Amino acid sequence: MKLLRKGKLLRKGFKLTALLVLAVMVLAGCQEKDESADSASADDGPTTIKVWTLWTDTTDDVNAVAFRKALESAKTDLPDIAIEHDATQNEAYKTKIKTAMAADEVPDVFFAWGAGFVKQFVDAGKVEPLDAYMEDGTADRLKGGANTNFMFDGKTYGITFSQWVASLYCNKALFDEYGVKIPETYDELMQAVRTFNANDVIPITVGGKEKWPAMFWQNAFAVRTAGADTCNAALAGEASFDTPEFVRSAELLANLVEEEAFVDGALGLDYNESGALYLEGQAAMYYMGNWFAGDIAGHDSDIAENTVAARFPVIPNAKGDETQYLGGSIDGLSVSANSEHKQAAATVAKYLMEQVARNLAAAGEGLPTWNTEDVASEKSNPVIDQIKSQISNSTGYVLAWDTFLSGADADDHKNYVASIFGQELSPEQFATLMQDMN
Amino acid sequence: MNSVLSNKKTILIFMLPASLIFLFIVIAPIFISGYYSSLEWNGIGKGVFIGLENYKNLFFGKTNLFYGAIWNSLLLAALSVFIQLPLAFLFARILAGGITGEGFFRTVYFIPVIVSTVVIGQMWLKIYNPQYGLLNQFLEAIGLGSWKQEWLGNKDIALGSVFVPLLWQYVGYHILLFYAGMKTVPQELIEAARIDGASHTRITFNIVVPYIISIIEICVILAVIGSLKTFDLIYVITGGGPLHATEVPTTLMFNTIFHRVDYGYGSAMAMFIIFECLVLTIGIRKIFGRLSYDN
Repeated sequence: MKLLRKGKLLRKGFKLTALLVLAVMVLAGCQEKDESADSASADDGPTTIKVWTLWTDTTDDVNAVAFRKALESAKTDLPDIAIEHDATQNEAYKTKIKTAMAADEVPDVFFAWGAGFVKQFVDAGKVEPLDAYMEDGTADRLKGGANTNFMFDGKTYGITFSQWVASLYCNKALFDEYGVKIPETYDELMQAVRTFNANDVIPITVGGKEKWPAMFWQNAFAVRTAGADTCNAALAGEASFDTPEFVRSAELLANLVEEEAFVDGALGLDYNESGALYLEGQAAMYYMGNWFAGDIAGHDSDIAENTVAARFPVIPNAKGDETQYLGGSIDGLSVSANSEHKQAAATVAKYLMEQVARNLAAAGEGLPTWNTEDVASEKSNPVIDQIKSQISNSTGYVLAWDTFLSGADADDHKNYVASIFGQELSPEQFATLMQDMN
Repeated sequence: MNSVLSNKKTILIFMLPASLIFLFIVIAPIFISGYYSSLEWNGIGKGVFIGLENYKNLFFGKTNLFYGAIWNSLLLAALSVFIQLPLAFLFARILAGGITGEGFFRTVYFIPVIVSTVVIGQMWLKIYNPQYGLLNQFLEAIGLGSWKQEWLGNKDIALGSVFVPLLWQYVGYHILLFYAGMKTVPQELIEAARIDGASHTRITFNIVVPYIISIIEICVILAVIGSLKTFDLIYVITGGGPLHATEVPTTLMFNTIFHRVDYGYGSAMAMFIIFECLVLTIGIRKIFGRLSYDN
């Protein structure tokens, strides 16, 4: 009897273990292994260059698709170099690269954000200046100012492939249905918010859980109230944040929050959830970077036809006009100063960035920072086309503040804006706290 | 065999590999963290020795997020001990009492424990979603639409909302521990008590509880320590937000080290968490030592 019970227990235990093993296996299976990481044959011939990026999603992410294509073409175009690519998701990537930097285990080529993010590595002497490697004509194929955010002390520490710019995506179907005008001014934005709220439509969706999408709103208002030059100067510590213009940027946001312009529970929604509300036609407006145009075009509904990518509303009598944008060229590849094959690494970085830019141009996506006029585009994304024509006469850009600032300052800034969303901070306090950083 | 095991040298040789591994992956990092906590260091360049400055900031700094975080984790520990464990005990008692489908239920309750925390987090995110979430839809369906909430977006209730999945996830784990313990209680004892006319409650408290007191002690320690160092589920569900409402020491530490790139300050938090866990473990052992002595 006892033995029988024991047998039963054992079998149960076995089943449980089997279930556990299965679960582990399923989870392990989820971690997509990169095909190109398979470099067993690279022992004698080609130089192996390790590349880390954040492009994991090769279905929806247009940049990742373009990068994957560039990796493929590199096999034939760069026969002497074997590229070992490893991709990690955005937030995890930040952690991973910082840990690698601390341990001096940085790959030869790595993805980096310009300005504040890469600056900490540059200051620590971990990044190789690329100016010497770009004298082979590469520099001429780049658009003017493409690498501005990777320049420190007159040296270039990274190569970008495209720039970004934020737009106010408006669902025209909803605007037409309720007879609302696509907002061009702050007052029209307020009017739209009131009308949508009265009709139980979410006026604006925003993902506040990650904080940066919420931060975009204050940043965009600051571009309008203070102007791009003042914003950049203040961020660089050369001008004050404690001015009426910056107070006003927070105040305009606070007024929107007061009016319940943003989706319920915005501070608990993540980026994907908030974007889905727009894509599904439940929210009328979404302020996001041009990468979201790819999601719009790839979505299975008529949202692509209904989307109007509008400029951020202007504020009457303010310093910034409608030709100034939140955005800039900040995504790029850098080369490690500790790399054993710097020449090859620089070649890889140059090649990949140019190819990604060209692939994007061919796919009609993104805003390449390379001269890609000779590329025949196979298809076009109507939303991107709208954005492209808008920024053709741009007069100024301000990066998202959390990428311009770094470390604790960036984190504090995001928390301050979140506190405006949570109605815990007054616009005056916001400006004072921001000035405390400078 | 016995003579081999009584040889001190043999013991040393057999213990050596495990001791070395323990030393290098558990003890050494603690001391290294202790050293880091005395630095002002961004993790990349050179650190500057600043003594106890980080600890001073931790306890007397102008932003006192850390106290809120500690309070949250202690609250979770209390809920864990006074709600999760009694619940687990009740279920285990029912299961061990031999109901139909005993094995089935045991497996079902254990499933949340083996599922990856990230999966659980994603699942609860979907449940709590204010627009299409299961919870709000359910409330709407049964006519309690007015009870609908922004479960994770409202800073006043977000903490409660994250505690529910945290407690739910490990109930099965404690059920299994209690269940295993209860199975060791001699049936003769229980049958004898029953013949003497003892009620279920009486049997539970006068026979089962004293018999498995050491297991209860382990469960309490695991629950408390687990609560103090909980991280993954909170990180997935709220990331410490909104507005730091669900911050616990570990999420704050992670943010300090990896987002604010302040290794020294973050390491000071890590040292505090280790110290806190140690003190509470010793405290719990003392309490239970007295309890089992009384019995």
